[in-house]
Amino acid sequence: MTDKKEKYKVNLVWIIGIFALWELIAFFLAQVAHDPMAEAKLPYPHLIIVSIANNFTELLSAAGLTFSRAVVGFALGAVIGVVLAIIMSLSKIAEKIALPYLIVSQMIPVLGLAPIIFTLAKNMNTSRIIIASYITFFPVAINMLSGLNSVESDKKELLYSYAAKKKSIYFKLMIPYSLPYLFAGLKIAAPMSITASILVDMLGSSGGIGVKLLYALYSGTKDVFWASVITSACMGIFSYFIVIFFEKICMPWRKQTS
Amino acid sequence: MNILNDIDTEFQERDYSKPREEKTEIKIEDLSMVFQDKNGGEPVTALKNVNLDIKEGEFISLLGPSGCGKTTLLRIIGDLLQPSNGKVTVRGESTRDIRLQKKYGIVFQNPVLYDWRTIRRNVCMPMELLGMKKAERTKRVSKMLDLVGLSEFGNHYPYELSGGMQQRVGIARALAIKPEILLMDEPFSALDEFTREKLHIDLLNIWRKTNKTIVFVTHNISEAVFLSDRVVVLSPHPGRVSAVIDINIPRPRDMESKQTPEFYDYITKIRNSFEGV
Repeated sequence: MTDKKEKYKVNLVWIIGIFALWELIAFFLAQVAHDPMAEAKLPYPHLIIVSIANNFTELLSAAGLTFSRAVVGFALGAVIGVVLAIIMSLSKIAEKIALPYLIVSQMIPVLGLAPIIFTLAKNMNTSRIIIASYITFFPVAINMLSGLNSVESDKKELLYSYAAKKKSIYFKLMIPYSLPYLFAGLKIAAPMSITASILVDMLGSSGGIGVKLLYALYSGTKDVFWASVITSACMGIFSYFIVIFFEKICMPWRKQTS
Repeated sequence: MNILNDIDTEFQERDYSKPREEKTEIKIEDLSMVFQDKNGGEPVTALKNVNLDIKEGEFISLLGPSGCGKTTLLRIIGDLLQPSNGKVTVRGESTRDIRLQKKYGIVFQNPVLYDWRTIRRNVCMPMELLGMKKAERTKRVSKMLDLVGLSEFGNHYPYELSGGMQQRVGIARALAIKPEILLMDEPFSALDEFTREKLHIDLLNIWRKTNKTIVFVTHNISEAVFLSDRVVVLSPHPGRVSAVIDINIPRPRDMESKQTPEFYDYITKIRNSFEGV
């Protein structure tokens, strides 16, 4: 357990270090360099904390709105990704047909796609969910597929020697074997789906953390702007740790390395 | 080595005082295996005109250097590979039918355990495929783990066990559905000498208790002599049977059997039987 204690110490040093460095640079910009834009470029971190505290309920409800849509989209995208991966691993032809277009789909910038989807869906929440799942399904499908394709042949032969059916092969071997790969994909996708959801907010939503960001930017309320940025960052980090939490629950056989 | 004493196994125990019935279990007729090179190179003949009868309840070893086709032969017997020529029948039935009836138990070179299953659930896996009831499975898993001396490790995950223990889990799993034929592909080759010697004794005990036909692939001469009723010596390029040697060291065998002059005579005899080596 000393490892864990040391980890906390390391994290604490980093947090204090970054905070102190930030304060110092902010002080330098405002007091030494006399930059008129200092407040916008890099405000004092303690002022941001105060601002978060002052706007706490507002920020939380805005973040909650964006986050909940992102979660729905993320879950949907994850399911689609897993199903696609299984279909592609079942049939080489399906893989040949689908894979190039899946890759192409990711070359369309979400920034361009989002307004189209918004026009089609005509609903902010639906658009958020669609965009978040659109972002999520790809890394999930690709990682899951590489997991399914890397099952060792002797593990498969064992089931073959017992004349196991396809269904048993997938449920007893292929899918559990691919879980670590699946979670690698989910870890990439989770913060991305939050970003996508914030982006959709900015396209003209009535609520959500993206709207807060935009209004604060236009109205020049620097402290609220920075508070929103920090809140967004926390949402991304939070989503990542939710995935890690589920990973630990789903894979108790993995050695606790980190 | 008394792990087997309290076990009420459902297998027919071997009686050394009676001569065994000489029924042929596995018949290998004029078997050849040619691997085509995917890159257009010369095809490789892994086995050429192999003929062999394996008797019921026999412990037979396939012995030879790398490239002699011993693993290929085992895989053909187990229906994991299809031969280019000739055939293998098990009591008149095709190897495919025997596999579909789930009568093979295979122990691989690596333990091939599923990391996400506990030891109990690893041993349980073939029984699930057989559609056994849960109560029956639980009972048999406990018996199998007793048989290989791992009762206390049932709820551990494979990574928590040593290599030798993992290999014993592999053996327990293979025996779990009472296979008629146990196919073992260099099961102990990755283990240290001490663990290997212990597992040899364990395996002979299990064989005595269960009365299975065992086909055992190895490149270790003394291992083959110590365990087997018969040793089939295979030579490479192309893989073929160069000698079949009966091992008449009395059973039950123990560590002292390894110190008898006849044990060394067999080793010398086998060593000399390798063609061109």
